[in-house]
Amino acid sequence: MATEAAPMDEKAKRMRDLLSSFYAPDPSISTSGSSISASFDNINSTSFDADQYMDLMIKKSNLEVLLQRHVQMAAEIKNLDTDLQMLVYENYNKFISATDTIKRMKSNIFGMEGNMDQLLQKIMSVQSRSDGVNTSLFEKREHIEKLHRTRNLLRKVQFIYDLPARLQKCIKSETYGDAVRFYIGAMPILKVYGDTSFQDCRRASEEAIEIIIKNLQTKLFSDSESIQARAEAAVLLKQLDVPVDSLKDKLLEKLEQSLDGLQIKPEEASLLAEHNDSSNDAESNEQLPAKIHEDAVRGFSEAMRAYREIFPDSEERLFKLARALTAMHFENMELYIRKRVSAADFLRIFRIIWEDVVLMDEVLPEAELSDLSAEAAQVTVKKFVARTFSHLQQDISDTILKFDINQREAVEEEVLKVVLEASKKAGIQGTTDIFQDFRQLLDENIGIFVKMKDLIIGWIQNGFQDFFRSLEAQFLVLSGKTSSSKDIEGGLVEGKSSDKIHAGLILVLAQLSVFVEQKVIPRVSEEIAASFSGGNSQAFENGPAFIPGELCRVFHAASEKLLQHYIDTRTQKISVLLRKRFKTPNWVKHKEPREVHMYVDMFLHELEEVGKEVKQVLPQGTFRKHKRTDSNGSNTTTSSRSNTLHNDKMTRSNSQRARSQLFETHLAKLFKQKVEIFTKVEFTQESVVTTTVKLCLKSLQEYVRLQTFNRSGFQQIQLDIQFLKAPLKETVEDEAAIDFLLDEVIVAASERCLDVIPLEPPILDKLIQAKLAKSKEHNNNNNTVSS
Amino acid sequence: MQGGSSGIGYGLKYQARCISDVKADKDHTSFLTGTLSLKEENEVHLLRLSSGGSELLCEGLFSHPNEIWDLASCPFDQRIFSTVFSTGDSFGAAVWQIPEPYGQSNSSTLECVASLDAHVGKINCVLWCPSGKSDKLISMDEQNLVLWSLDSSKQSAEVLYKESAGMRHSLSGGAWNPHDLNSVAATSESSIQFWDLRTMKKVNSIERAHVRNVNYNLKREHILVSADDESGIHIWDLRKAKVPVQELPGHTHWTWAVRCNPEYEELILSVGTDSAVNLWFASASSEKKTSESLVEASRLRVNPLLNSYTDYEDSVYGLAWSSREPWIFASLSYDGRVVIESVKPFLPRR
Repeated sequence: MATEAAPMDEKAKRMRDLLSSFYAPDPSISTSGSSISASFDNINSTSFDADQYMDLMIKKSNLEVLLQRHVQMAAEIKNLDTDLQMLVYENYNKFISATDTIKRMKSNIFGMEGNMDQLLQKIMSVQSRSDGVNTSLFEKREHIEKLHRTRNLLRKVQFIYDLPARLQKCIKSETYGDAVRFYIGAMPILKVYGDTSFQDCRRASEEAIEIIIKNLQTKLFSDSESIQARAEAAVLLKQLDVPVDSLKDKLLEKLEQSLDGLQIKPEEASLLAEHNDSSNDAESNEQLPAKIHEDAVRGFSEAMRAYREIFPDSEERLFKLARALTAMHFENMELYIRKRVSAADFLRIFRIIWEDVVLMDEVLPEAELSDLSAEAAQVTVKKFVARTFSHLQQDISDTILKFDINQREAVEEEVLKVVLEASKKAGIQGTTDIFQDFRQLLDENIGIFVKMKDLIIGWIQNGFQDFFRSLEAQFLVLSGKTSSSKDIEGGLVEGKSSDKIHAGLILVLAQLSVFVEQKVIPRVSEEIAASFSGGNSQAFENGPAFIPGELCRVFHAASEKLLQHYIDTRTQKISVLLRKRFKTPNWVKHKEPREVHMYVDMFLHELEEVGKEVKQVLPQGTFRKHKRTDSNGSNTTTSSRSNTLHNDKMTRSNSQRARSQLFETHLAKLFKQKVEIFTKVEFTQESVVTTTVKLCLKSLQEYVRLQTFNRSGFQQIQLDIQFLKAPLKETVEDEAAIDFLLDEVIVAASERCLDVIPLEPPILDKLIQAKLAKSKEHNNNNNTVSS
Repeated sequence: MQGGSSGIGYGLKYQARCISDVKADKDHTSFLTGTLSLKEENEVHLLRLSSGGSELLCEGLFSHPNEIWDLASCPFDQRIFSTVFSTGDSFGAAVWQIPEPYGQSNSSTLECVASLDAHVGKINCVLWCPSGKSDKLISMDEQNLVLWSLDSSKQSAEVLYKESAGMRHSLSGGAWNPHDLNSVAATSESSIQFWDLRTMKKVNSIERAHVRNVNYNLKREHILVSADDESGIHIWDLRKAKVPVQELPGHTHWTWAVRCNPEYEELILSVGTDSAVNLWFASASSEKKTSESLVEASRLRVNPLLNSYTDYEDSVYGLAWSSREPWIFASLSYDGRVVIESVKPFLPRR
């Protein structure tokens, strides 16, 4: 036990335990904690066994300890005794004082009952007195109340009789609020007795109220009144049970009608733009359309503000109106830009619209006008960009088609050159203008444009890409070379047959393609890099934007295609000529050649035309002689060719002289290197002419090969070809190839001739001279006629 | 078979224009060709590709009385063929039979089966019925279309119908539709005309000037290929004949002839007067694609020209696919050189 640790507490604790065991019915609860630890030597526990304790003591301890223990115990017992005595004493004391108190209480209560009875009697008498007063005053009070009621009634009657006059007074003083209050106050009475006693009165007041309503309505409709006043009027009307909704409808309809006036009509738009422009510098007082429009819109938004306050429940309707106006603005804008509009004008109109939108947005922020208009603006700007491009394309094609090059004389006037220059200029000028326009768009600092900047850049880049693509397609269509894709798209192009298209136009288109490839596209890509780069990536989602490389390729291909097409058209024309020449006569029964045949003139004339066209359009190339091919024939094919062809022919021919002459041509052919006839066409005058001549001569050879000639027929061919030699060599850069081809024609003719005897050179010469003289004379005649 | 571009050559003695595949010869790849010489004795050569495919052998050499402008082998009898010939001032057409033991060379003479002598003008071509069994023939001159029934046993040919196309249209050639044996396409100066053989009436036409040659696609119905002098090759769908399905650039000069491959429907050969043979890949499947995808395809399409064989010294007029080995074709240039080439390296992968 903790006897040493807390010797002081020991006593107090024991005391407490003892007391609690005395009062508590179950001592085990309170002492449970200590009883466990205290086994046998705990004298306080209930299970303490004195004998056992003694035995233990005697066994464990010696005498001295026992004695000590005895002394200690005796002292403790003594202490306990005094403690108990003290307790008994204290309790007794308390009991005595309690008894005293009870005694005092008893004496105090005595005599209370009499007082109580007295009180009861007094209260009873008070009650009876008050009852008496009550009954004596009752009648008087009744009377007073009756009088009071009558007076009230009279006052009301008076009020109602006075009502018309009062209302009139109110009308006069325009205090409609009071009037309405009076009328509404009188309303129940009028309703009940209106048909009987107050008939006149009611009628009069109703008349007055009619006037009031009318006045209120006019007030509501009059724009000059303040919004406050009008709102009040509306409230009053509502109180008077006047159908306000119909009024509201009427008002809003009026507002709607005014929308028409606010429209920027396409036809007025340009006017608006112009005047807006001039108003900047000229400070004139006259009402300019732009100003008028602004005021109108301001008025409109004011009205909206007013109506919104007057009829809070009509917001939706107003939203609708505002949206309608915005939508209408943009629709008109679209109509407007359907015509050709400069960016400046476009922006001016756009600015006006934007101001309108801002004005309305201030009044009705909930209508989300800015979102709506942002969307519409995007669409409009996109359309504008697209339209600008299509206008440019239209411009270019107009320029190309403007000149009527189908006229015969046109060729003399170098119309092709004019067309080419004009189209070039249109192209360059157009792109420059377009860039200026777009720069204006980008520089515009209306909030919405700033937001759309990236988008606009994307559209512009895309626009250029599409523009060039469609330009190329249009070139092809214009040239009549209906591309396969176009054919499939519906075969509409079919109607425009290539016959109707002037060949010169094709040449112009070809050269224009080169120009676009070399000048316009690089320029555009520079411009784009300089001021239109960095469009946001979203714009590029639908395919890449501007790719100059690809466009250059496209136009390069187009230019080659067109040039080829030009040559084709030209050769086709000549081919028809040759075909007619070879189909019509019976060559087997040909008569002696008298003169150089007509078709040679026509052929040369066609070539001359080609030369003229080419000279107008294409640049002059560096003059150079034809290159011969490196591949000398072909060694790859194993050939078991019988080379008897020429020898056989030679031995059989009759005339010795003719034989040797033919033999020469054949030998020449054998030993000549294979001349490359079909070289790549270049964009030079010479190349085009040469190619045309080569193709035509080749055709000539093929036509010859399909015929069979008698001697005269052969001689005719020989004569014609001989005549052609000189003028062709003059026009063509590649003499070797022309020589070769001309020889080929003769060879072909000789091969297809039943009886090869060439004309004697003197005769040949004579005939050619005759022809030359004749043509000279013809020319002279022509000159004299024309002069 | 030799790969690469180097072909197998064979030289005729004289100039020549026409070569034909011997379709009826099932055991060998053979071609018939005839010379075009005004003054010499003309020859018909029967050429056979050796079994190894490395040599072109002359299997028979027959003299032909006149210069040969057109030659067509009979589709059911390898010994029979037809020619169109000219004597210089007049034209004739005949069906010939190669004499029985034709192994020996030295210009053995041909037996004339029948003379197709109903013409007066310039005869253009003789067409054999492509069914391979029928003994019908068509011969064409500039104004007339004559349908013949051939009786080879009786050595005669009988005129079934003769119809004049009119003076205005001067016919220049034609092709027998292999899918519809009653239809024949004829080229004229201003159009391609389609004739119905049952009524001998013109039923349809494609307005197109100066078509030099037409050929039906053997694999796909309604597809016709035409070659023009100047504007290249056009592929037509006969059901929508207003505009061509596809255009191929053709040759630098005239495109003389076109032939569709008998087995690979996309392959087209053309020969031209620019001394070249061009092999085209034309995936003109108009039915399968919508117009947009076609536009797209035309943009994306790589060069349809698969190969150009240019080892020729002169204009190439003759062209024939082998029907036995459809990757082999024979071409004939004007100087009398036959070249056999294989297109195996260019065959589409299947």
